[in-house]
Order: sequence, then C-alpha cells, then structure tokens
Amino acid sequence: MIASARGAWSRLRGRRGRSLLAAAGIAAVAAMMGTATTVAYGLATGFDRAAERADLPDLIARFEPEQVDEVDARVEALPNVASRSYRQEATEVPLASAGQATSSGAVHVVGDGRRGYAIVAGDDLSGAGDEVVVERGLADAWGLAPGDRLSVAGVDARIVGVAVAPDNVAFPLASAPRVYVASQGLGAQLGADPGLTNMALIWSQDPSRLDTTLVQARAVSFGIDNLRFLTRAGVQVQLDEAAGIVIALLIAFSAAALGVAGVTLGATARAEVQRRLETIGVMRGLGFSRIGVAAQYGLEAVIVAVPAGALGLGVGALLAYGPSARLLESLNELPPGAALLAPLAGCLLVIVGLVALATMWPAWRAASRRPAEILRGAELTARPRRLPYPAGFFGLGARLVAARVGRTAATVSVLAVSTALVLLMLALATRLDALQNDPASLGKRYQLTVNGAPDSTLPVVRDVPGVAAAAPRYEASAADSFQLGETFKLIAFPGDHTEYESPPVTEGRRVQTAGEAEIGAGLANALGARRGSTIAAQLGSGREVRFRVVGIVAALGNEGRVAYVRPTRLLEGDPGLTPAIAVRLSPGADPAQVTSELRSRGIDTAAVGAATSSSREFLGVLADVLRVVAIVNILIALFILTQSLALTALERRPTLAVLRAGGAGRREVALVLAGGATLVVALAAPAGVVLERAVLGPAVADMAVDYVTLPLSADVGQITFAVLGLLLLALTAALWVARQVGRTPIAVALREE
Amino acid sequence: MNVVSARGLTKTYGRGRAARKVLDAADLDVSGGEMVAVAGRSGSGKSTLLHLIGGLDRPDAGTLEVAGSRLDRLTERGFTDLRRHQVGFIFQFFHLVPELTGEENVAMPTRLVNGHSSGLARARALIRELGLDEVSGRLPHTLSGGEQQRFAIARALVNEPAVLLADEPTGNLDADAARTVLRHLRAVASGGRAVLLATHDEAAAEIADRVVHLDGGRLRA
Ligand SMILES: Nc1ncnc2c1ncn2[C@@H]1O[C@H](COP(=O)(O)OP(=O)(O)OP(=O)(O)O)[C@@H](O)[C@H]1O
Ligand SMILES: [Mg+2]
Repeated sequence: MIASARGAWSRLRGRRGRSLLAAAGIAAVAAMMGTATTVAYGLATGFDRAAERADLPDLIARFEPEQVDEVDARVEALPNVASRSYRQEATEVPLASAGQATSSGAVHVVGDGRRGYAIVAGDDLSGAGDEVVVERGLADAWGLAPGDRLSVAGVDARIVGVAVAPDNVAFPLASAPRVYVASQGLGAQLGADPGLTNMALIWSQDPSRLDTTLVQARAVSFGIDNLRFLTRAGVQVQLDEAAGIVIALLIAFSAAALGVAGVTLGATARAEVQRRLETIGVMRGLGFSRIGVAAQYGLEAVIVAVPAGALGLGVGALLAYGPSARLLESLNELPPGAALLAPLAGCLLVIVGLVALATMWPAWRAASRRPAEILRGAELTARPRRLPYPAGFFGLGARLVAARVGRTAATVSVLAVSTALVLLMLALATRLDALQNDPASLGKRYQLTVNGAPDSTLPVVRDVPGVAAAAPRYEASAADSFQLGETFKLIAFPGDHTEYESPPVTEGRRVQTAGEAEIGAGLANALGARRGSTIAAQLGSGREVRFRVVGIVAALGNEGRVAYVRPTRLLEGDPGLTPAIAVRLSPGADPAQVTSELRSRGIDTAAVGAATSSSREFLGVLADVLRVVAIVNILIALFILTQSLALTALERRPTLAVLRAGGAGRREVALVLAGGATLVVALAAPAGVVLERAVLGPAVADMAVDYVTLPLSADVGQITFAVLGLLLLALTAALWVARQVGRTPIAVALREE
Repeated sequence: MNVVSARGLTKTYGRGRAARKVLDAADLDVSGGEMVAVAGRSGSGKSTLLHLIGGLDRPDAGTLEVAGSRLDRLTERGFTDLRRHQVGFIFQFFHLVPELTGEENVAMPTRLVNGHSSGLARARALIRELGLDEVSGRLPHTLSGGEQQRFAIARALVNEPAVLLADEPTGNLDADAARTVLRHLRAVASGGRAVLLATHDEAAAEIADRVVHLDGGRLRA
C-alpha cells in the first residue's frame, strides 16, 4: 500500500504540470462548494442554534403594564406551560457611550427565572448595582465590550456582557438597540417598579400544542390592554423566508459546481488515460487485474484530490464566513463556528469520491481491452466528421472542440447553468435594488409622508407646488382573532386607495364598501382566507373589526400580510387612530424641493422607502452574500473554459505542435483556442438564457416569496452583459492556455505520438 | 550557396548523471538544390538535428545559419518567422489535422503569410502537381498513407520555404508509396530548395545527392 502510494506520488510528480492543473480544478470546485456550504449551512441552522443557546421562549406576550402577580396568576392557569418569566420593557430610552448616542434604546428589566437570551461575551447580570448587558448588534455598532461604560437614561452603567436573542433582528437592522438590566440592580436605580411587567416569556411543554395555549391566553386576557403575541415559530417563518431564497440559490450553485467537477475531472482523467494507454497495456501485460489498474489511477486521484479539495473548501469557507456571519449577526443568529467542519468534511468526501470515480472509470474501461490491443495504441477517440465550420485557425478550433461531442455537451451544459445562475443573480440584484430604493416596486404611488400632523395640514400640503395629491393614510397593526400568532397590517384611505397604493389584483376585485377588504396573498396564505372569507382583526385597542374578503392582491410590503379597507370600520374599532398624510408628487417634481417647501411651512416629511429601512439593510447584506457567490461563480466559469481548452490542447498537442512547426505563432494558437471557446460560449449562452428565463427565474421567484410574483427574468441589458462577460472569459482562457502551449518546446510535443 | 550551415552543433538531454549528449560538435552544410540524407542508428539524434535546423528547439552550443538567419541569435518571434517562411517540415506520421480535408490542410499555412488568395492558388497547384486532385476534399482518415504524406509535402511547400526537412518521410509507407514520395522530394530539390531527410531507408539514401552519417553525435560523410 505504502509502496504503491509512493509509486503514485512519483508518477504525479513526473507530470507535475497536469497534476497541478487537475488540482487547481478540484480546488476551484471545492471553493465553490465551500462558499455555498458555509452560507447555506449557516442560514439553515442559524436560527435554531441561536434559539437553542438563547433558550428562546416559545411565546412572548407584550401588553400594557400590569401587576406581575395578576399576570402570573393567569399564565399559571394556562395549559401546556413549562415555565415563565417576566420583564419590563421600556422604549425610547436614551443610551450613550463615548461619542455615540441614541434616544430610542429599549431597556429590558429582567427578574428571576429563565432569561431567554444567550451571553456571547462577558457575563450575565449578577444583580449587582450598575450592571448592564448589551445586545451584540449594539456592541458591534458602537464598538462596546465588557468593562466599557454605557449611560442608560443618564445613569452610568458598567457593561458586563454581550447578549444575543433571536426574537428580533439585531440593531441597527432593528431600529431600537436593546439592553438588559436586573430589576434589583440598575432597574431599581432607573426607577422601574419590580411589581410591574409588560412582557411575559412563556416556555411550553409541547411546542406543537402552542395553539391551545394561545387560544386560552386570549380567553383569559380581558383587562389586559394592547396584547400582542410573538411565537417562536412566527419569528422563524419570517427569517426563513428571507434565508430561503439564498439557500435555494446556493444549493443550485453547489449542484452546478459538482456538475463541473464531474465533467472536467472525468474528461481530464480520460485524456490522461489516453496518453498513458501504453502504460496501462504494460501493466495489464505484467498481470495487473482491471481492478488493480483502476485502483492505481484512483490512488493517484485521491492523492491529488484530498489536499486540493481541503484547500479549496477552506478558502471558500473563509471567503464566505465573514459576509455570512455578518448576515447571521444582523438576524441575531449565531454563526456555526466549529460545527461547520462536519458539513465541510462531508463535502470533502463527496469531492474525493467523485474525483476517484471519474478517474477510475476511464482507466477501468481502457483496461478491459486486451493488452495487445491497448499496446497497439488503438485510438479511443471517435472518427472525425466533416463539420460546417469556417476555415482558418478560428474555425479549426471550433472543429477540434466539436469533435468531442460528449465532453463539449457536458461543458456546454455546465457553463449554461453557470450563465443562468449569473443572470439570475443580476436579475435578483436589480430586484433587490428596486425593493430597496423604488417605492413603485411595492405598488406605492406616493413618494412622501407627513406623520403626526393635525387635520388642518392636509389642505396646506395640497397647495404646495409639485404636489399632485395628498390624502390621509390610516395604518393599524392587527392580529387575527382566531390565530393570534398571525399579525398583519390594516391600511385604509378614504375613497379609492389605488391612487396611492395599487398592488395588482390577482383574484377578485377592489374594495368598494366599508365592510370589504382586499388582502395580500401573504395574509391569504397565512390565514387560509379566500374570496368570500371573513377576516376578524383584533386591533391594538382590544376591539375586533370584521371584513369580507373581496379580492386578493400581490402586495410585497410586510411579507404580503396586509389588508386594504375603508377607514370607517377601522375608526370604529380604534377611534384614537391618527392618519399620516400620503403625498403624491406631480410627474417630474423634485422630491427634495417639495420637501423643503413643506418644511418652510413647518411640515416635516419622510421619504417613502420602498422596503422599510431595516429590511433595507438586510437586503444590503443579502446582496453582499450574493456578490461573493457571484464572484466565485465567475471564477468557476473561467475555470471550466480554461480547463476544457487546456484539455483540448493536451489531447491535441501533436496537432498544435504541427501547426507551430509550420509557423503558427502564439497568436494563431490563441485563435484556434478562442475558436473552440467561442463555440462553447455560442452554445452555452442561449441555453443559459433559456434556462434562466424559463426555469430558474420562475422557480426561484416562487421559492423566494409565495405571496407575490417577483419578476426575476433577466432583461436584454443583463443578457448582453452576461454574454459579453462570457466571451471575455473565453478570450482570457484562450490566451492563458495559448501561453501555456507556447511554453512547451515543439520538439517535445511532437515526440508524444 | 549554403542554405543550411551548422558548426559545432551540440545538444544534451537531461542533467547530471542522466545527461546524454546527442549531438556533439556536429558540422553540416546543405546548399540550395541539394538533397542530403542523414543516416544513423535509431536514437543517434537524427530527429534532434532536424528539429534544431527547423527552429523547433535550440542547440546548447555551436552556430547555426538557416536561409541567412543566425538561429542562435533569434528571438521566439524570429523562430516563428523562420518556421513560417523559410522551413517546411514533414513527419513520419504525416500529422495531418484530422478534422480538415486534404486541401484545407494544405491551405492552412497560407493564412500565416500575406496574400492568402495567391496562397490558395499555390495550394491548388501543388495538389495538382502531387496528383491529389481527386482526393483533395477528403478527410485524412479516408486517405492512404502515401496520399497523406503527399498532402503533407504540399503543406510543407505551400509557403515556398528555402529548406524542406523530412523526418523519416517513408517510414510508414510501403515500397511503392515510398518511391512516389521520394520522387517528389527529389523534384523539390531539383527545383532549387535544400532538402534534408532523416532516414533508415536504403532507397532514400540512394536517391539523395549525398548521405551523411550521424554517429556518436558527429556527422561523417
Ligand atoms: N526531450 C528529450 N528528453 C530526453 N531525451 C531525449 C529527448 N528527445 C530525444 N531524446 C533522446 O535523444 C536521443 C536521440 O533522439 P532522436 O529522436 O533524435 O533519435 P533518432 O535518431 O531520430 O531516432 P529514431 O531513428 O528512432 O527516430 C534518444 O536517445 C532520445 O531518447
Ligand atoms: Mg527520429
């Protein structure tokens, strides 16, 4: 065994150039898988990991401050409760630390019992006087560490620990940074009454029966105002929706990368076997069995694949770990750390196995022929056929490549998938960009809002030049009366709301009377509601209002969990509701100018972000991750092209040598190779475009968001960009391989036959 | 006038203990219109000599002049130019590009020089001269060895080189086909070019103007 390994090693060294090329290929593919695995595994397991470590409760209830004893008596009576603890949450608390300050801090005063957060640095609260634990998002954003000082509502506190709680995304993705203080400690100094609570954390005995608990909780909640529930499952659904799109993409990438690996390594092995038919013949002549011969080749492959694969996986994982960890951190999830090693080791096994098989197969096939036949050097290649390609060096290259039908088909299909993925990425990036910056992508047709202004403001706004229309816009958070975990937004304009917000109707019709609602497909899915159903909305006021569903709309905002209604009933349910003013600008009006006009009249406006500012940052991080994947994908495409050309050059060394002997220089060799690469691109590009537009785009759009159709088909500009990029890669590959070819002395290449 | 002139040509393969001096101060002159056969045992360095003269490899020592250029002073580009304009090569295994027809194989090198259309005319004329008209549109694997080698000769001549180098051109042919090929080479020499041919073939040696023997890295008359 050791002897044969040593033999294999010296054979590999004997053809160092080709071994290195194969190793580089394996490493590139492994890098692709490394990135994909790191991001996908992190996202797929991040929430569970964080929830586990943080001991996240199954149910969090928020309400107006109540006596702890009063609330606890009711919670204790609920079915399926394993344990419970209480907090007091104070919002809009000023926080400050060396040079940094915010007035929107959230202070959680925690008492005894389970905490529901994980300490990731330093220590938990001990109950001593001036201790505070800060959330990781705040620690990262402000550069805080245990031992630093933080002013909480003007009281100087000492940071003892950094915590993560996945019940919300992290600051600054969440607008309010969260800190924890002990009720006997800093809480007392801040004047929090330890007898009060506005937040209950509930751990269930059986999470699958949480619904019963919720229904009971609702039933015993009279007298408790503004009750809102957040379930662990509900948090996860929201996070997974965003992560799902990335995971789906990455799985597609990994599959493509594995395809690349199989094809190119198989082809390399085949070329290698062909060059060494004689050796195989001799080995067989010496009495080696077929398995023996194949095993020799397999051993060589493993020797190359293990270090190359490990290196590639390592590099890919390192490349992706940073952006992926940032993504996870912004979601208040934990990066996998050492747990990532297991899936990476799995990848290494897959890669090495694939490489070994791809190498052994052609050797096995060659060895099945009679030794005499092999020694006579019977050609493995198919007979060339006449093909209608242009004459000249460029055309010759196309013919050389086309002569190997099977491999060209494989290369083309892998490159096509790769093209399709890049197109998808471009389409996705454009879409994310629009979601981030263009309100129209959410069906919003107004550009500015005025918040908290008295009724008298409306006519003033309407008179400002550049304003086409303005109307009050009511928005209320609600929970479904039957499924309290399902929350949504009620949005109302007096009269026709489509002048301001017009998500496309996918089913039914628009609202016409006060009792009707158009609901987003996201809400329809969540509630199982259809046209004709009734939705019962539990408002913050504690009252319930009902609407009959007349239409389903493709609304993107709030994950499609919205309902458009008329204000009448909404105001009956919550008379205290104050509207914002939605301001629609005239075509061509400059928002900045209108804003300053309004300000000069004492009216403050806010620009309508497409996505809310918090999801905007999330989209930004998402784009970062996609960018890393895209870069690796481009490298892979370059590698496939280079590898396939290098293989062609390897197999056709005598042909290229004869051309060179006849006076062809590096330019002509490059032309031959460019011809081959262009043929591959010419076949792969249209296939890739079709694949993206017909299959991948729609599939990912479906997977990404089920409540609306995202147009994810690449447009002409993107296609042009991708095809030109591909041609550029082809040219680069041709030049590089031509350089390599030019380095082999012609005399040496000629001797090979 | 000497088209090829070599003095003290030396070439060693390998290093240290594995080093093998294949050419050891070999001298050779070939003039235009002359056909010279290089004879020698297998492994004596015939191919090596031809490769050096054809600019496919560089000597370790000695001076070498081909068609007026000092090869020891040429850059890589200069070598390419030499191969393109001054040297034609033919091989024992013909080495036609299997994907190209006979005629396309012959025409390929004309793309490397100015005046592609006149080159094409030259290619057609050569094909006719070598009696390949009938089969010019066929792919190499459908041709006989003799036909393939004649296409290879046409390809080597199409850019009108000063020197034609033939490495065992008859090694893979039967006697009849070999005779035809040698007759053509003879005609090339008679047309004013220098022809240098490495061979084991008695017949080849007979038809040449001069035979030099390669032995122990040196050339003897
Ligand atoms: N690239 C190389 N590396 C090492 N040794 C080489 C190389 N090329 C040729 N040789 C050795 O140089 C010697 C001369 O080779 P060459 O091919 O010139 O001989 P030859 O006379 O043409 O033989 P044949 O009649 O068999 O064709 C041989 O021993 C050969 O093994
Ligand atoms: Mg030889």
